[in-house]
Amino acid sequence: MKQMEAIDYKGKVKPSWCPGCGNHAVIMALRKAMAQLNYQTHETAIVSGIGCSSRFPFFMSTYGFHSIHGRALPVAIGLKQAKPEINVIAVGGDGDGLSIGGNHFIHASRKNPNITYIMMDNEIYALTKGQCSPTSRIGTTTKCNPYAWTADRINPVLMALSFNASYVARGYSGDVKQLEHLILNGLKHKGFSFIHIISPCVQYNKVSSFEKIKELVKYLPEEHDTKDRVDAMRYAFSPDGLYTGIFYDTHRPTYEERYKEVISIAKQKAGDNYTIKEVIKQFQ
Amino acid sequence: MKDLRIKISGTSGQGIISSGDILSYATARKGYYVTTYRAFPSEIRGDGKCYYTLRISEHKALTATGDTDILICLDEDTIYEGLNRITKNGILIYDKNLIPELKEKRSDINIYDIPLTELAKALNSERSRNMVALGIAVGLLNNLHLEEQINNDIELRYKNKPQEVIDSNKKALKSGLDYVKNNLKRTDDYSKVQMAQTGAKLIMSGNEAIGLAAIVAGCRFFSGYPITPATEIMEWLAKELPKFGGKMVQCEDEIAAVNYAMGASFAGIKSMTATSGPGFSLMQEGIGLASMAELPLVIADVQRCGPSTGVPTKTEQSDLCAAIYGTHGDCPKIVLAPMNVADCFYQTINAFNFAEQYQVPVIILSDASLGPRRECVDLIDFDKLKIVDRQKPVLKEGDIYNRYEDTESGISPISCPGDLYGEHVVTGLEHTVSNAPTPEPAVHRQMTEKRFRKLETAAGQFSKAKTYGSDDAAIGIISWGSTSGPVFEAIDKAAEKGIKVQALYPRTLYPLPTDWIKNFIKNKEVIIVIEANYNAQFKSTIVERCTHINKGTEILEFLKYDGTPFTPEEIFDEINKVARLQQEKLELATNKHTHF
Repeated sequence: MKQMEAIDYKGKVKPSWCPGCGNHAVIMALRKAMAQLNYQTHETAIVSGIGCSSRFPFFMSTYGFHSIHGRALPVAIGLKQAKPEINVIAVGGDGDGLSIGGNHFIHASRKNPNITYIMMDNEIYALTKGQCSPTSRIGTTTKCNPYAWTADRINPVLMALSFNASYVARGYSGDVKQLEHLILNGLKHKGFSFIHIISPCVQYNKVSSFEKIKELVKYLPEEHDTKDRVDAMRYAFSPDGLYTGIFYDTHRPTYEERYKEVISIAKQKAGDNYTIKEVIKQFQ
Repeated sequence: MKDLRIKISGTSGQGIISSGDILSYATARKGYYVTTYRAFPSEIRGDGKCYYTLRISEHKALTATGDTDILICLDEDTIYEGLNRITKNGILIYDKNLIPELKEKRSDINIYDIPLTELAKALNSERSRNMVALGIAVGLLNNLHLEEQINNDIELRYKNKPQEVIDSNKKALKSGLDYVKNNLKRTDDYSKVQMAQTGAKLIMSGNEAIGLAAIVAGCRFFSGYPITPATEIMEWLAKELPKFGGKMVQCEDEIAAVNYAMGASFAGIKSMTATSGPGFSLMQEGIGLASMAELPLVIADVQRCGPSTGVPTKTEQSDLCAAIYGTHGDCPKIVLAPMNVADCFYQTINAFNFAEQYQVPVIILSDASLGPRRECVDLIDFDKLKIVDRQKPVLKEGDIYNRYEDTESGISPISCPGDLYGEHVVTGLEHTVSNAPTPEPAVHRQMTEKRFRKLETAAGQFSKAKTYGSDDAAIGIISWGSTSGPVFEAIDKAAEKGIKVQALYPRTLYPLPTDWIKNFIKNKEVIIVIEANYNAQFKSTIVERCTHINKGTEILEFLKYDGTPFTPEEIFDEINKVARLQQEKLELATNKHTHF
């Protein structure tokens, strides 16, 4: 097996993100984490929906599936369930994953497929040139809400925790070293690992700029018990800063493991030589 | 009598479907042909009406719809509903407890008011009234010798239930049989009914046939969301797929379902989903993605009426336009329409073969009158079935693999995750042959043409359209899907009266089977397009496009959109009407001629 390096994951297409976009840091961190785990390109698939961050698969040398708006998770889960030996990573933005695809995020969290979901949150719809997203802050005005802000924000970390994602972390594009650590642990985690990355947009979001986010972020205290879901929620809620780090990390059977059990029960009932001839008996 | 229709009707929760199922399995296993029609309300228990119609015959019957020979009623409403649809010398059986005396009567049928409730009460099991009624019917048809087989089928159906359940059903059946023997003053002559047993056959529903074909075709992944009347496909595959190492996963909605299936197909596994109209609407973007990304995918749409509220348990053929034109953009896909339960099996095999070979979404249009109905299917020769797998590329280190290679056939060999040197990105974004995203006009044109070229390649492979009736008929019927049974029977009936009619059933509705339709129309004076929807979707989308070569042919339509399937009688009446009009026209033309 080839010993992989971060550079081996560079795709045929060069990242088309704006200079200074937070996503450049995310792709660097992911490539490094993948190299540490020696992921082979033919055994790995990156799945996305639509949005700036969803162009991601083109910039990688692995298999990729650039699907449709909001549907990265169902495609990724179907792929993983069909071929559990493939490393599956879903990527996307806040609009893709929390608005149009929000329902799938809930059910991915509860089903616990062994995939990693990286959400690059720039708090805006950037590919469509700046409209409010479910994570846009108070005071954000756009062409679609030129006068006033009209809806509360979603807290993605709290959402993942409440729907029982088994690994929940938050990072920030200004801290690549921490990102690499969070992604590495997420990839290693057996189950649904959700990594929320604040990844500022330099073009359409002046409210949540690198500078502003830098002021807000702080590391979770070292003594935080990542097995304690309620404590994790408390930090996710906390008004005194935007905590980054691993909020929650526990183990429970994955979606694929549970289905393996289904197959073993069914096969036990059916016997070893179950063929079409046997199936047909119920119709005779 | 070689042919018999029995209808069991009542209120939902009275066991109508169970007794109908038991009787249909037993008649098939006894060696007779049987076809059925099930209709049920959306309430589980309550005022909604349930109907189970069986047609038992020596030769393969095509439809169970139409007038009834024996009507069994477990509630009052269905008596008056069905009274006038009983054939002459037929039988009405109803529960004496419901009404002391019938308000309306018919002197040309045999009316038996039976104390069904009392008989069931005497067994301490009022709920088994349905089986007492079944016992009455079986007792009346004593020369079909069904008793032993029904007892076996009761055991089989309730094998996972406590012994009391089996015993009480058997006792109830016997109580009905005994009543006929000892108490009933028979006025009918149904004890004369005898039929030849025609040997081993299969009995299954349209939905089960689709599930079975999926497994035979090599499908090992199904994702779905429960929806009447398609859920049975999902339930059947949930039971059977894991036994083959395959998976059936239930999703949060139909949008997820179609995308799960696409993820699995990308992984190299033959995948499908099934739904009905409302879910089919939600899947549309996914279907468009499968088309653009060139992923094999099979979608069964068991059509019903309206949105998820709608008329959810009744039948319609109203998703044709959605299937052909439903998605965004230019989307090559294939739409198939099975005609009966056996055809559900064969068209599903075709669906997987086409999906894999041409890397397109393939839609199977079944409906609520076809999906849940059980009928006999002739034995299937599994060894003779052709199963097609997707074309894989030859992958070597250092070689460049272009996922979307622009080939003569339009088909580009496809690798999947796990294949060494086959890495690529599938995408719904317009892309070059090497899957790089681009909005270049020349590329979009080239790739659109490439994707559609696959349909031209495919066109030669489609099952031939089925014709029925005589070639020299002046009246033609063009129709599709589940209407075939009543249409073919109506054609037979018309032939007996000296009216020649021929029907054409294309099984591939998209791409447009223009040649078949054009050739068919060429020799006809008048065409009736028959379909179960209001706005004549098949006629206006397909058939009329094929008429320009023979403008003299009149294209009429005969539509039904009340939620019930066509009956042979109403189609025969329509044929009769059209034949009369044709005759009048002919006479008029002749008269004019002589006048001058």
